[in-house]
Amino acid sequence: MAKLQSGNGVQRGTVESLAEHESSSLGSDSELNGFTEIQTDKYGFIGGAQQSTGENDNIPPDVLRQREAKWLDMLNSWDKWMLSVSLISLKVKLRCQKGIPPSLRGRAWLYLSGGKVKKEQNQGKFQELDSQPGDPKWLDVIERDLHRQFPFHEMFVARGGHGQQDLFRVLKAYTLHRPEEGYCQAQAPIAAVLLMHMPAEDAFWGLVQICEKYLPGYYSAGLEAIQLDGEILFALLKRVAPVAHRHLKKYKIDPILYMTEWFMCAFSRTLPWASVLRMWDMFFCEGVKIVFRVGLVLLKCMLGSQEKLKACQGQYETMELLRSIEPRYMQEAFLVQEVIELPVSERDIEKEHLFQLRRWKETNGELHCKSPPRMHGAKAIIAAEPPSRQDLKQNPTIIVEVPQTTESKMEKGKKAKSKMQKKTDMKNTSPPLNPYPLPSDPALVSDTLAPSESQHLQGSNQSLSSTENDTYL
Amino acid sequence: MSGGAELGFTEHLFKVLVIGDHKVGKTSFVKRYVKNQFYEELKTTIGVDFSMKVIDWDSHTRVRLQLWDIAGQERLRGLNRVFFKRSSGALVVYDMTNGSTLDGALNWKHELDSQVMLKNGRPIPAVLLANKCDETKVCRRNASLLEKLCQEKGFIGWFQTSAKENINVDEAAKFLVKHILQNNEESVKEEEQNMQINLKQQSKSNSTCC
Repeated sequence: MAKLQSGNGVQRGTVESLAEHESSSLGSDSELNGFTEIQTDKYGFIGGAQQSTGENDNIPPDVLRQREAKWLDMLNSWDKWMLSVSLISLKVKLRCQKGIPPSLRGRAWLYLSGGKVKKEQNQGKFQELDSQPGDPKWLDVIERDLHRQFPFHEMFVARGGHGQQDLFRVLKAYTLHRPEEGYCQAQAPIAAVLLMHMPAEDAFWGLVQICEKYLPGYYSAGLEAIQLDGEILFALLKRVAPVAHRHLKKYKIDPILYMTEWFMCAFSRTLPWASVLRMWDMFFCEGVKIVFRVGLVLLKCMLGSQEKLKACQGQYETMELLRSIEPRYMQEAFLVQEVIELPVSERDIEKEHLFQLRRWKETNGELHCKSPPRMHGAKAIIAAEPPSRQDLKQNPTIIVEVPQTTESKMEKGKKAKSKMQKKTDMKNTSPPLNPYPLPSDPALVSDTLAPSESQHLQGSNQSLSSTENDTYL
Repeated sequence: MSGGAELGFTEHLFKVLVIGDHKVGKTSFVKRYVKNQFYEELKTTIGVDFSMKVIDWDSHTRVRLQLWDIAGQERLRGLNRVFFKRSSGALVVYDMTNGSTLDGALNWKHELDSQVMLKNGRPIPAVLLANKCDETKVCRRNASLLEKLCQEKGFIGWFQTSAKENINVDEAAKFLVKHILQNNEESVKEEEQNMQINLKQQSKSNSTCC
């Protein structure tokens, strides 16, 4: 449990109004009304439907330490693990299915997605994009969306706070990176989830990989790719849950009506948070197949038997049912198990893709938007663009600068002791620089947040969620 | 779409679209209308959201209104063709504090008319909502401009609304429902007439046969 200080100078979102909204899920958490300290769950949520109930999700510490050691080892020789043809790479998949340790999740996602390699091969690119003003057409839309992404997460609750600033930077950078694509509203939650786990530059490359490798075309004009995937999902459902398929067909419920948000946001706005993270662990490793499987499992659970269908005879009733999925079907352990067991392969999806594409062309003509081919997961991505060892080297994300005075002292010939000296100096004389200094901090006011904070969004160099100091090992 | 009549009691089911540019307050309008609540922070709509409002119109008519709150961003409009199907009316929303969203509203109306129409070929009834009126005032010149726009673009009327302050929310919806009901009656009558004509023709052809 982390505590979040309110009234710290950064303008807080309207917590009271948030508390009012979805008050049922907040229960009796009266602390939200005007008190200065707010309890967050272990993921940083202060409320909302996705807040953890903390029931089922505790892995024993020794198991977690073991997993961390395994993951560190794996990340340190990533190319060997990923490029091997043997069973070794199967192990990566199994470990993703078990869940990536929270402390390494950000780094693992970046490595799995190939974002790490992209970042190293394009050094300075993000900084370059970040320094450009951007197209006002997109900036306007992005700015209007900033406070509407996970408003219950401590990182995004404050208007103009560091989370929202970084979100702006990442989304703006993408519109400059792909000016022909621009910005789609569904990219914002994706970028926000990434930002909860990594600094802005990494989140940018993660977003690039999702938009171009994992879900190409999802955010492009015309939204043809998402409609095609809707048809693919529906076709796969016929095999997985014929009863559900018949029902949806009977009431002419187009897949677009229920799967748009699911797929475009990779379930980040649908599932409880523990499940979102587990699902994303598998998604980064195995690709879009996981998104399809989650969709199929939910449809099967909700509409899979005649009994269940009795209560939803009609289009609207069915839509309502699919918008309020029973919590037990979304619960972490249940959902992950079902998703792993569901026999829907990459091949099934590709086969259906070809078939649906042909059908699409027959009725709608050629696709307007030519997207790059979809890559099914981490192995395909790394195989397509093999990295050098240098690209996979882990660099420290946060470098604490030694204060000026110490440096000049060292220059005066105390270099011999430097290592020890540095450590003690840091401990004794000056605290590490806070990447998110508060505007009330007099030393830092001038170059961080302008008084009119929201007008002039200029982010910090590193993103660091206060609850997750240990994320960037 | 009408339900069965029982002892003179009729139940109607109508699908109403809530459309307009992003961030003009569509979702807020719907939440105010359906739940009588206002939220400062709502997440963006991706795809479509649904709500239902049941109105006891009079002692022998009940209307079930399905509100389809559709994502506003231009990028997300590729899906509209699916969302618009079989709708009976529309609330087209713009933000009075953001002039460009009025142009947006007109585009939405245009798209609506090109994709859906009544059985008799006329456009489905649509009301123009000048939302967020708590933040600004409509001057007389604007009012006459809006009046003119309504006539030109085929809106059945316009309202200044505020979801935040609950101004004209019920009134605007009621106005739309009234028109939908009228259209419905007309189309029922037309159908009846057609049937009668058919019957007459049939009986005529029958008589010649015999």
